[in-house]
Amino acid sequence: MNDAFRRGAREGFVACIPVAVGLIPWAIVTGVAMRSHGLSVVESLGMNLLAFAGTAQLGTLPLIASGAPLWLITLTALVLNLRFVIYSAALAPAFEGQPWSRRVLSSYLLADGVFAVLSERLLASRDRAWRWGCFIAPSVMCWAAWQAFTVVGVFGAEALPRDWSLEFMATIALLVMLVPMAASRPMLVAAVVGGLATVMLRGMPFKLGLVAGIVLGIVAGFVAEFWQQRWQQRRSA
Amino acid sequence: MMWQGMWLWIALVLIAATTIVTRGSFIIPGERVRLPPVMQRLLRYAPAAALAALVVPDTLLDAGEFDPLNPKLAAALVVAAVCLRTRNPWLPFLAGMAVMLVLRKGLGW
Repeated sequence: MNDAFRRGAREGFVACIPVAVGLIPWAIVTGVAMRSHGLSVVESLGMNLLAFAGTAQLGTLPLIASGAPLWLITLTALVLNLRFVIYSAALAPAFEGQPWSRRVLSSYLLADGVFAVLSERLLASRDRAWRWGCFIAPSVMCWAAWQAFTVVGVFGAEALPRDWSLEFMATIALLVMLVPMAASRPMLVAAVVGGLATVMLRGMPFKLGLVAGIVLGIVAGFVAEFWQQRWQQRRSA
Repeated sequence: MMWQGMWLWIALVLIAATTIVTRGSFIIPGERVRLPPVMQRLLRYAPAAALAALVVPDTLLDAGEFDPLNPKLAAALVVAAVCLRTRNPWLPFLAGMAVMLVLRKGLGW
């Protein structure tokens, strides 16, 4: 528990408060959904502890409820998790010098919001203890918020207002992360192309349009960066 | 019944395995698997592209159909405007949900 760890933990924690707030409605919805798809309380809590992955949980519940074959359930979960391969590859250098146990724990805890908000800072820092604090503190906070509010959903499935569009809070949380990120021209291009491509490719099976849209957005941002540099070089020449 | 209970737990463990395998794909092997620098530069755009890929469909689509004139897009634009003007962490949630509820419940849009 040295000083760098604590400073990193504080910075990551504060930066990820909107992420945790945005997880709350998702967690409640997921808790309600597990119960309404026929899982018992113990099975719901078990699923939640084993797989900390809202999208994969919500996506596989209809298959579980209909008794689909195990290979199909596994394949669907795998595809819904594919975006994490991109995150994992991007974030791997931040775990340099960390023991195996911390890497496995981090892999279990890695969430969309934490990656989106902190990846740039984590990769920029040269202090291993700071990086570890900055990743693990907000990740544990998001995990705890997720577990707590899924339990609310599991036990309160009947009592919550259904017509308040509470799930929209998740979208707001993602926007709060996206807006400051899109400040540079290439980042804005990546976001616009990624978003619109996903809309146009929405017909692809197993949400593969999401993966394809992300890839197109990444490539578009990279190309925009290349053009921006060439343009600046020509102006200064 | 016994087997049905077992089957469900096997399914849950397999789902859990896919989340660890994907998220750990590069984090766990660490230095043994290195990405070329070009890939690392490409991946800097992954967060923005991924966030937009999750947000934009939710604001432009209504029940899977393209429909930009919906309360979610109006609320999202208000949220974006609020984010550009203030760093208050709660205000975007309050403003976005207020717009959403006024349009949905107040005006029946």
